[in-house]
Amino acid sequence: MTDTAIAGLGMTELGKVYGRSPRRLAADAVRGAAADAGLALADLDGLIVSSGMSGSPGIELAGTLGLRDLRLLTQMNSFGATTGAMVSYAAAMIQSGAASAVACAFADAPLSPERSSGSAYHRDAPEWHGLGGLNAALGFRSVNAFYALAARRHMERYGTTSEQLGAIAVSTRQWAARNPLAQMRDPISLDDHQRSRWVVEPLHLLDCCLVSNGGIAVIVTSAERARDLAQPPVHVWGWGQGHPGHRMARGSDFGLTTGATISGPAALKMAGITASEITVCQIYDCYTYTTLVSLEDYGFCAKGEGGAFAASGALGPGGALPTNTGGGQLSAYYMWGMTPLSEAVIQARGQGGERQVARNDVTLVSGNGGILDHHSTLIVSPHAKGR
Amino acid sequence: MAAGEPSPPTGARIGTVRRDGRTDVFFDGAAADRLMIRRCESCGRWFAPDASGCPECGTEELDWAEASGEAVLVSWAVAHSRTADPAPLALVELAEGPWMYGRLDAVAAPREGLPLQVCFVHPDEGESYPLFKEPA
Repeated sequence: MTDTAIAGLGMTELGKVYGRSPRRLAADAVRGAAADAGLALADLDGLIVSSGMSGSPGIELAGTLGLRDLRLLTQMNSFGATTGAMVSYAAAMIQSGAASAVACAFADAPLSPERSSGSAYHRDAPEWHGLGGLNAALGFRSVNAFYALAARRHMERYGTTSEQLGAIAVSTRQWAARNPLAQMRDPISLDDHQRSRWVVEPLHLLDCCLVSNGGIAVIVTSAERARDLAQPPVHVWGWGQGHPGHRMARGSDFGLTTGATISGPAALKMAGITASEITVCQIYDCYTYTTLVSLEDYGFCAKGEGGAFAASGALGPGGALPTNTGGGQLSAYYMWGMTPLSEAVIQARGQGGERQVARNDVTLVSGNGGILDHHSTLIVSPHAKGR
Repeated sequence: MAAGEPSPPTGARIGTVRRDGRTDVFFDGAAADRLMIRRCESCGRWFAPDASGCPECGTEELDWAEASGEAVLVSWAVAHSRTADPAPLALVELAEGPWMYGRLDAVAAPREGLPLQVCFVHPDEGESYPLFKEPA
């Protein structure tokens, strides 16, 4: 079986970046990823595109980039699990021989200079229509409300506390302080977390991710080819997806468990390792709670003990399981699943500068979409598979 | 609001809700203090009011049927905003089995499994809507 690797990473400026459309941002990211790999755009024979809130770009991105004679061109959407899905599809296409060098791109530009970050993902209207409108009128105005219900359920069932969620906000910011790409680098204390305003109780402002404009792309190719390119290869050892399909009815585990219970074991099995061999985690952290529940479902601690695990200091600099070492979506930048993947590539290459972890041998990359509905997992390493 | 109707909690003044032509049965029910939810006539399963089909038997057209209005609390949250009072949000499990999003009415100490009963608000402007409160 052909082994695969990530050979290029392209990142535009991220955050309050105005004046560039999502299509332009995606194109800039793909150009950057190709140049990073030491490839010309003409060397690409595959392009997979993912869009965020903007709904753009789609496959017209190939035309924007002037790509010709592609053997793979598609748009994918598994919400926050899309990045893992894109990379695994690219890897599988390369393994099958259907493509040889595939760019996977994400871009979004929900922010505009005229409105707040919160309003980009928030509904507001003078009147509401029908049953969908009723839920919004009652106060379900953004995804924050649904994640708050999920977090509260975990708190009620397992005794998880706001302070334990706060420990994740603090450790993630400790990492961000060491990352020049991060939007929020000022250190925060647990007290800062507790005193930050409520968004939807039990979620404080510092439990919620940023909103960012920008684009990120990676180049996937065969491990053999990647060895001859410009950057150290980041080998793709395994992947998996998990979509539990929680029914919103009696007996449901909604909020308590995620698709990581499915995607994690699948990815680990393909990689030929166990969770205990993972040395770094890059977890989709749209909320502090998402980090907590995902780590439980990957088996890094027992179900219900994610709060104590986070409060133990395991996730921060110097901890036993460095997690979200670039500052994650909470403190660095919100590029959906490209946030954890981009940091995984940087760490696996040993290019993390001040935040570089010593043990970068095996990284778990986690995507999460919907309300804990869709998970994807990648296992990546600086070492060839079966080292 | 007429005497005898449930007094809303702080923040129960929600935005004005209009019917959309597709879910009018729900709002007709609410106006008459009846909680209308969905039911699959083929297999008898109950669904939340916003369900669009039965994943068990594939039926696309669900009937409307009156629920008992009895529920238990699954989870809750309080939405804060700069422009409105805090909103006590709830995820409840109806006695018939489906979960439903809603809003609590003066529940002082919410907990998982707390018994609840639907009640209705009839605003001067816009459609009637349900809240969930502790049974008398």
